[in-house]
Amino acid sequence: MHVVVAGISHKTASLELRERLALDDEAALRLSQELLGEGVACEAVALSTCNRTELYLYGRDSLAARQAALAHLARHAGVAPGELEPSLYSYSGDGAIAHLFRVTSSLDSMVVGEAQIVAQLKAAYQQACDGGCTAVVFNRLFRHALEVGKRVRTETAIGERPVSVSSAAVELALQVFGKLRDHTVLIVGAGETSELTATHLKAHGIEKILVANRTLDTSVDLARRVGGEAVRFEDLEQHLVVADIVISSTSAPHYVVTREVVERAFKRRRHRPMFLIDIAVPRDLDPEINRVRDAYLYDIDDLQHVVEHNRHEREKEAQHAERIVEQELASVNDWLRSLEVVPTIATLREAVEDIRRGELERLSNRLSDLTDEQRAQVDMLTASIVNKILHVPTVKMKEVAGRDQCYLYVDAVRTLFDLDSSEAADEAAAETGPSAAEADPAELPVATRPPAADVPPAAVESPAAEPPAAAGGTVHHLRGTGTEDA
Amino acid sequence: MAQTSVILIWLAYLLYAAAFAVFLIGFFTQRPWMNRLGLIVAAAGLVAQTLGLILRGVDAGRFPFVGLYESLVLVAWAIVLVWHVLESFTKIKAVGLYVMPVVLVLLTIALISYDPPQGMVPALRSDIVIVHVIVMLVAIGCLYVAGGAAIIYLIEETLLRRRKTGGVLGRLPSLAALDRLIYHATLLGLPFLTMGMAAGVIRAETFRVPGWPTDPMVLLSAAAWAVYVVLIAGRVRGEWSGRAVSWLAVTGLVLLLVIRFAAVPYLSGFHTYGG
Repeated sequence: MHVVVAGISHKTASLELRERLALDDEAALRLSQELLGEGVACEAVALSTCNRTELYLYGRDSLAARQAALAHLARHAGVAPGELEPSLYSYSGDGAIAHLFRVTSSLDSMVVGEAQIVAQLKAAYQQACDGGCTAVVFNRLFRHALEVGKRVRTETAIGERPVSVSSAAVELALQVFGKLRDHTVLIVGAGETSELTATHLKAHGIEKILVANRTLDTSVDLARRVGGEAVRFEDLEQHLVVADIVISSTSAPHYVVTREVVERAFKRRRHRPMFLIDIAVPRDLDPEINRVRDAYLYDIDDLQHVVEHNRHEREKEAQHAERIVEQELASVNDWLRSLEVVPTIATLREAVEDIRRGELERLSNRLSDLTDEQRAQVDMLTASIVNKILHVPTVKMKEVAGRDQCYLYVDAVRTLFDLDSSEAADEAAAETGPSAAEADPAELPVATRPPAADVPPAAVESPAAEPPAAAGGTVHHLRGTGTEDA
Repeated sequence: MAQTSVILIWLAYLLYAAAFAVFLIGFFTQRPWMNRLGLIVAAAGLVAQTLGLILRGVDAGRFPFVGLYESLVLVAWAIVLVWHVLESFTKIKAVGLYVMPVVLVLLTIALISYDPPQGMVPALRSDIVIVHVIVMLVAIGCLYVAGGAAIIYLIEETLLRRRKTGGVLGRLPSLAALDRLIYHATLLGLPFLTMGMAAGVIRAETFRVPGWPTDPMVLLSAAAWAVYVVLIAGRVRGEWSGRAVSWLAVTGLVLLLVIRFAAVPYLSGFHTYGG
């Protein structure tokens, strides 16, 4: 069984293609359910954000899963699969899990370190879960992925510093004022960046927004959009007295605010600091303003510089995050491996054998009257009881080893016998190595009686099969240490 | 008992050093939880130091402020205490980065010049001297913290003005927060400084200490007091910019340090507790 991911992202596809492939909640769920219905996967989650559309599948045949995902995505977008193919990336096994972890850690995001993806992935998973598209593996894997995202966020500074001009401006304002509540921002000229910055500032609690533009209509418009108040451009100097943050982006060919004007304003505003951001080219604010005590002036170059530097910092932190992803990948792999049939049988037998030996030891005092021969007989008797009891489950498990949903049995056995709590379980799983049971999926028989209700119709019709060749052979030699490989 | 006391002070010393290391690592790797860990470690150090001081006092049979060792341990203790109190109110990060090295330096000098408890000179055997010492400790603790915040303010302000936004800037508290911390710490420290000085004057007058008004230490203390009064008065009336307030706080801090490490041991005629 393999985890498979297939999808497109900002790295591989144009915005236009991403738009066509965008899935709303309903479409995402429908797509997952269709894929499950076709029997190419046992579990499915569809993730769709503005920068990516991805299908995560858990199935036996990774190639088939990929092709099915491609076909469904192409159909949804209304393009030919061949057209989508060049933009589609897909990974399976470790690669797919690593990709999922990198996505939740925002390492694969357009803006590395952005925080939204965790919530988006959580929502996508929750929906798939509610829609019955996930089971043991994805329930665990996606929760783990969310934990990885959280861990990366707390253990690295990947999302700490702003990487856009407007958020860098806000961060600098915060550095000066601490809290923005009770402060006033004055927007001079109506540009897109100043509007964005004003919105950011508002999100950080700033209460008063003044908008001054040469044409009053534009001011009124912008003021309405950002929830501010339009003021007369001619009264600019007056407003500088009350403004703590000034964002300027007019298209004036000369300085709109000179050092003298700011100095005059400071005489009246006393020593409350003022933070000025000049986004205009050519500049609106006299660079000399930065020499005025308590006034801090940043122009667009300064802010770009901050952004550039922070990008660089994030890339450094991203390397740290990649290491976390690797660690987490190893831990999830251990678990996925434990879901395989052969190591589970070995662990189960070892656990039961431990009980048998323990009981014999406990009774050794009472059995002290026995001769060596008699004691050997007791030993054989108990061993044979254990073997008889374990015979049917062992055979049955090897039988289901070939089926798609065999891992559900394995999970049940592990839960019922509490196999994951013992150290022996880990050792046995590690020793048996990867996937003896699925070493060669092609040789394994098709599923016969899957346990879940949502049985893929194709699977039901298959005839009952012999125990899979890859897993058979050692069924009758039940005595021993339990680490034998099939 | 004397041994236990010294062991506790050493333990406090090591804990403060550990806390400082944690602050430093947290500061440069930007792990916010390390700041909390540092505070906890420093608090553990404070507990050890408090116990150590109490044992020392019990051992000596008096308030432990006699001699260089005791007085420095006491000052360091007061600074850590005041810093923790202010920290819990203001929640300003990065101040520990300044406080810890100061405390470590004070404790290093103290531990180097360790002396066993000594008897009190008769001149110190007075209730008003105890009051004077306790009140001054609170004042010094507050004003040291204010001075530290002021140093950080000046560094940060310069970085911001020169647009050196890359390095430590984002990890420092905001200018407004530092400005408030300087103001509050001074506002708390100044009345204690006033009271402490008043107690000193009363004591000098009562015992008719000759020539106390012209003693270098008294003059320097008066200058420091004036600096803090100007700071508070200007800040309240909005006449001083954050930068000016910071420079005043730093000036006050320098005066306090000169008093402690130059005036008291070498210049003052009568203030001989420092040994």
